[in-house]
Amino acid sequence: MTTKVFLLKREALKPGEVTRVELSGCPLAVYNVEGRFYATHDICTHATASLSEGEIVDGDLIACPVHDGTFHIPSGQAMGHPCTVDLRTYRVFEDAEDVYVDLESEAEEASSAI
Amino acid sequence: MTDHTCTGDCTPTLQRTRASDPLPGLDKLVDFETGKMSRRLYWDHAIYEQELEKIFARSWLFLAHDSQLPNPGDYLTTYMAEDNVIVVRQKDGSVKAFLNTCPHRGNKLTFADGGNTRNFICNYHGWSFGIDGALRGMAGQELFIASGMDKSRHGMHEVAQVASYKGLIFGNMDPNAPSLDEYLGDFRYYLDVMLDMDGQGTEFIGGSVKSVINCNWKVPTENFIGDIYHALWTHDSAAHAMLGGPVSEVYKNPDSYHVNFNGHGWEFNTDIVGNAATLGDKEIRKYLYSIQPQVAKRLGEVRSRMIGAISSASVFPNMSFLPGQNTFRVWQPRGPHKIELHTWTIVNKSAPQEIKDRWRKGTMMTFSPSGVFEMDDGENFEFSTRTNAGFVTRQQDMYMGLGLGSQLTDTDLPGNVFRNQVNEANHRAFYRRWMDLMQARDWSEVPRRDVPKVKDGDLVYPMAKESV
Repeated sequence: MTTKVFLLKREALKPGEVTRVELSGCPLAVYNVEGRFYATHDICTHATASLSEGEIVDGDLIACPVHDGTFHIPSGQAMGHPCTVDLRTYRVFEDAEDVYVDLESEAEEASSAI
Repeated sequence: MTDHTCTGDCTPTLQRTRASDPLPGLDKLVDFETGKMSRRLYWDHAIYEQELEKIFARSWLFLAHDSQLPNPGDYLTTYMAEDNVIVVRQKDGSVKAFLNTCPHRGNKLTFADGGNTRNFICNYHGWSFGIDGALRGMAGQELFIASGMDKSRHGMHEVAQVASYKGLIFGNMDPNAPSLDEYLGDFRYYLDVMLDMDGQGTEFIGGSVKSVINCNWKVPTENFIGDIYHALWTHDSAAHAMLGGPVSEVYKNPDSYHVNFNGHGWEFNTDIVGNAATLGDKEIRKYLYSIQPQVAKRLGEVRSRMIGAISSASVFPNMSFLPGQNTFRVWQPRGPHKIELHTWTIVNKSAPQEIKDRWRKGTMMTFSPSGVFEMDDGENFEFSTRTNAGFVTRQQDMYMGLGLGSQLTDTDLPGNVFRNQVNEANHRAFYRRWMDLMQARDWSEVPRRDVPKVKDGDLVYPMAKESV
């Protein structure tokens, strides 16, 4: 069963930007990577840090604002030192002007990477 | 602990010590009427400690050239005297500077000379700071928060003031210091000779060459502020090598000057290419001759003839440069008897690449550790310092009275102007400023000796019309 929850309007987040959205106590980082939307858990798996305060680098990596470790946004995979534990991802749906998330499902890229 | 009571200048990141008392008997160390100066200025540790506080911690000090930090996140590390600082370009294009030390347990934050970064992370416990200096986080952050720590009060300590003049970025540790424009004052009129020949600005090319000289920092500063006199003798053999003859008899040139303002000084004649000629490269001379008429339209005849002339200059307290040779340098103090010399090559952005390359090689050949002129100077600088290890030796006063009574009052040139570049007027002005600062508890006690004539608007020039 999928539970679609509204995240934000497409126009609210420009390509290359990341923002924080809190849904029922769960902090999410929502990304616009070249027009495609993604969502991950907002807290870095290494130290306490809000990834949405970081920067999208090298196309589709999020660099943590604290120790500059990186994760692959579509799959949540830990990519760069000091991150070693992968990041929880969430499945995102785009519907016309709106972006939704399913908090019960991983992103497709994450599932296929397993 | 009374000296650590808050002075009102404290920030969340730094508790400033109240200014210490000026050293007693300072006024006996220099006699400006006769040109007598005590050797203790080159040797005493007590004087040096006061200089760190009263000169360097409240003067405008050169940090970087704009061209070294083109993009947001670009940074370099340098020194403000013995304080190591990070200078970093912000996302909004402004420049900030911070002490290069972690406010947690004091380790050095970055060990790099420069680069591009999103943050500075301490090697010790992994505390992380943004390029804006804010503490962004650390491992085990929740433990610090549980301890009652307020993250916003533990950022990197920011240099109180950062400002630039035509590409040169300066910092000042004192929030109460006058503005950079006021500090440079009328000296900006002369700085434009080097920084604003054509409205297109300057740049540093190549890297920085660093070396150590065992001398007091004031010896080379005063050498560049106004001592062409030494060139006739010190550099005789180097001049024969580079020019095929002796240094010209500059003391016979009636059209030559010492000028100074607020302790900054420039000695020069108006021969256009005299300094440049010592690089032994006629293409550089041709370039200077080719741009001089356009510079004359922009800056007037006198300044256009200074662009590569026999000349040298220092900005108080420890930045110097040579027009024509295009070496640009800071004499970083390392105790009273040692300096770390940082040098760069400065050129007009608009100059052809081939000319820039020739200048880079020219500065290597003349004013680098193996350069023919720098080697001549280094030994003099070292022994002018070292002799004063002698307890009795340092009780013999030195002399800097050359050119007493040579001030010109009927001149259009701004600043204090003196006839004949073979002079020690700028030395005296430098030590006058030094004495004023050493005797002042804060900037409000520093006498305003020099009255500015130059207005900010005088330093903006119409662009030269392109010839059709």
